Amino acid sequence: MTLASRGRAVTVVALLLLVGVYVRALMFTPLERFQGAAQKIFYLHVPAAWSAMLAMGLVGLASVLYLILRDARFDRFAAASAEVGTAFCVVMLTTGPLWARPVWGTWWTWDARLTLTLFLFFLYIGYLLLRQAVTDPGVRARYSAVLGICGTVLLPFIHLSVYLFRTLHPQPIVLKPSAPSLPGVMLVTLLYSFGVFTLLYVGFVMQRYAVGEEGAHV
Amino acid sequence: MSEVIPQNAGYMVAAYIVTAIVVLAYALSLYRRTRGR
Amino acid sequence: MFDLLRHAWAIARKDLVIELRSRTAFVSTLVFTVLVLIVFNFGRDPTATAVLDLAPGILCVTFTFAAMLALNRAFQLELENQALEGLLLTPISRRSIYIGKLIANLAFVGLVEAVGLPLFVVFFNVPVGNVLPALAGLIALSTVGFVAVGTLFSAMVIRTRFAELMLPVLQLPFSIPPLVLAVLAVSKLFTGRPLSESMGYLKLLAAYDIVFIGLSTLLFPATVEE
Repeated sequence: MTLASRGRAVTVVALLLLVGVYVRALMFTPLERFQGAAQKIFYLHVPAAWSAMLAMGLVGLASVLYLILRDARFDRFAAASAEVGTAFCVVMLTTGPLWARPVWGTWWTWDARLTLTLFLFFLYIGYLLLRQAVTDPGVRARYSAVLGICGTVLLPFIHLSVYLFRTLHPQPIVLKPSAPSLPGVMLVTLLYSFGVFTLLYVGFVMQRYAVGEEGAHV
Repeated sequence: MSEVIPQNAGYMVAAYIVTAIVVLAYALSLYRRTRGR
Repeated sequence: MFDLLRHAWAIARKDLVIELRSRTAFVSTLVFTVLVLIVFNFGRDPTATAVLDLAPGILCVTFTFAAMLALNRAFQLELENQALEGLLLTPISRRSIYIGKLIANLAFVGLVEAVGLPLFVVFFNVPVGNVLPALAGLIALSTVGFVAVGTLFSAMVIRTRFAELMLPVLQLPFSIPPLVLAVLAVSKLFTGRPLSESMGYLKLLAAYDIVFIGLSTLLFPATVEE
């Protein structure tokens, strides 16, 4: 089996399991008392966030490895991880406000987490734009690697700066968004969802990497 | 804290639908790009 | 080590001399800075918001825009003169080239800021007299980090399509930490808080500068390889 077909298989399995997550979260996980039904967005938002961050971290790692070892496969992997990460980032950015609005009373707030999400998205877009704008594959690989590394290093600074900014100007928070200690049933749903989103990441990256192997348009 | 659980299922439905759309759209895009490989 | 600095200084001087001869870029950047300050002034309702609330943001954002313009100009200069390709043929190390360009860019931006700051004080009537050294230091710290990354990226966009658009797009996320930290610290300065209260911000700014100057110096050779 080729990489593409194996990737497709993994993705299909992950999608089926995702249906399972939906069913479990929507029908078999209890409502959270203070946030109501909207809290269930948490079961999609947090694992998507995890996948988006994982993807970026791996882009950074692959970038470093590419610059040291100059193996084009690392560049191909970075390109794949970046595109997949962007998709998960979109899920994060859409479910975030949909969760914030009923729970915090506002679609958007410049708190550390949401703002970091936005910046992660801009980094992804910048990375993908840069790849589109450079024609020579060798140059593209090097430039992408430089941007990938700088971007990954930037993220903790963004997080810290925004956190410092926010603690000066706290927003009135109506309800706490995530309870630190989850009851067992909810925790299982969350972990299950984490697993599924990770599997989805793997399947997507396998396919996207296969697309990259054709060479012409990465 | 109120005794009544907030009625905000609309947001939950919207979020679950949007997520499904994004995930399926991307999966479809990848499927079409890897077709025949 | 000394060779590194010597070469870097030679490159910086070359860039600055070109700059001094024509002065167009400097004057344009300065005019732009003044215009941005003026626009900010008209953008606020003087009866509704106190100047001190907005002043830190106005100052730092204006300087960020000016720095972006300066970096763009550096890149344009490269395109026109193709000096970079010439430099790459010499035995000068890539790191020297980066540091030289960084110094030149910093000198340019620094000069714009040095003229812009008094104008800011005059336009917005902000009392900076007794905090001037601290303010200058803060602005310097913030500028250095941003220009460090910008110098790296402006070398990269040379071989990129839509370079003038790519540079801001790539760079703006990197301008946020220095910007936010500077605004936080300047805010404290303008409201008369002692500098010790801003130490956290200063340390993070310094960390950002060190990390990104180091990273950019390390990565620059990868952007100019053949």
